[in-house]
Amino acid sequence: MRRIFFNVLLIILAFTIQNCIFPLLPFLSASPNLLLILTFSFGFIHGKEAGMYYGLLSGLLMDLFYTGPFGFYTLIFLYVGYVNGICTKYYYEDYITLPLILSVLNELAYNFYIYVFRFLIRQKLRVGYYFINIVLPEIIFTVVTTLLLYRVFLILNRHLEDTGKRGDSNIV
Amino acid sequence: MESKRSKYVLISLTVFCVLLIGLTSMRDEWLTPLRTGVGYILIPVQSGVNSVGSSIYGEITDLSKLRNAQKENREMKDIITQLTEENTRLQSEELELNRLRKLYGLDQQYGQYEKVGARVIANDSSNWFQVFRIDKGSKDGIAVNMNVMAGGGLVGIVTDVGANYATVRSIIDDSSRVSGMAMQSGDSCIIAGDLTLFKEGRLRITNVLKESDLKDGDKIVTSNISSVFLPGLLVGYASDITNDSNNVTKSGYLVPAAEFDSLQDVLVVTKLKSDMMKEEASKENPPAETQATEGASR
Repeated sequence: MRRIFFNVLLIILAFTIQNCIFPLLPFLSASPNLLLILTFSFGFIHGKEAGMYYGLLSGLLMDLFYTGPFGFYTLIFLYVGYVNGICTKYYYEDYITLPLILSVLNELAYNFYIYVFRFLIRQKLRVGYYFINIVLPEIIFTVVTTLLLYRVFLILNRHLEDTGKRGDSNIV
Repeated sequence: MESKRSKYVLISLTVFCVLLIGLTSMRDEWLTPLRTGVGYILIPVQSGVNSVGSSIYGEITDLSKLRNAQKENREMKDIITQLTEENTRLQSEELELNRLRKLYGLDQQYGQYEKVGARVIANDSSNWFQVFRIDKGSKDGIAVNMNVMAGGGLVGIVTDVGANYATVRSIIDDSSRVSGMAMQSGDSCIIAGDLTLFKEGRLRITNVLKESDLKDGDKIVTSNISSVFLPGLLVGYASDITNDSNNVTKSGYLVPAAEFDSLQDVLVVTKLKSDMMKEEASKENPPAETQATEGASR
């Protein structure tokens, strides 16, 4: 329970940082997609159902920020959470390679989704340019941030689980 | 058992999302109460985080800025003396202009719209879209389709309004289209945002007739014929105008007057083009006039 509350708080914080702090830093040519990192990490650590709900929350926040059709981001974040949740069977702590590969794949899928539904349908065909100038920098930033954040999540998760268990045994 | 349930939840949520996308792409206004409600919680958080972040960042950069500022200050003083001189000259010319304007009966004085200042509190962090959010909303008289300016130039247009926030789409966004005209020659053109030109800080100018007199360096302002942009707002300057291969039109680039990479404060013009057109229509067409002229004036 405490863990869920904490994770929800973390997602809202990530959303605010992503939209209010990163754009202030002019030396960042691209910025990591924190919401995507959070969604897929939670999915990967806690399983597909939890991932799906965290994805739902992240997506709703994004949709509320933008003006376009509502549900556009919710849909992709929902699937990011769910699909990464399937990979949870390969999850064991301190194994960092798989999360990194997943973060690259997620970024590719996410940006591809935006490209197809927001640019390709308007006959913007310069895929190569978009990939090199927009997608690639974002992937690099996201992977580096995943490398840093994923460990933090693990430690946090372990800590919260420990205290949670202790709390339960105390009640018993 | 649990995996089956989550599958059902996923499918139902997917269907729900797709339905919602379909519905809201037709009618966006259904969501306004929801967005406003969430805005009440989220906007204070966003503006708080934003002000904390910008003050910390400001402290760090202050030192390096100070040195630049001293140098700039010296240069500015020179400029000020030049400008005061120019100003006095212009003031006398303005008197003359006013007199001549009255003579010509030009009662529309562009660029004197009422404006409301607002702070940019959130930006899209991905480079795909150029949208930002400001801390003023319908409570402060902001409405959808109001024009947003900064640094003397057009910045964007309000696309979505909540009680205490508004979302603005920049003119450099890939989907932005502004109908403009050259200030001197009056030739019309389309100013289009383009993601591939975004890094160079330029926009695209298209649909200029080949016979027109548009030259590099010409001032481009918003045109009279636009349905949402007020006429006569400075957008930028034309550059690299060349003939198109179809030999009918010319195209080129536009260097915007506003600086987009350091947007902090913007001005929202609180006059709407649609209201203005209504006013003009009622002024030009007294009720007795025929239907046909009314339709034409719109």
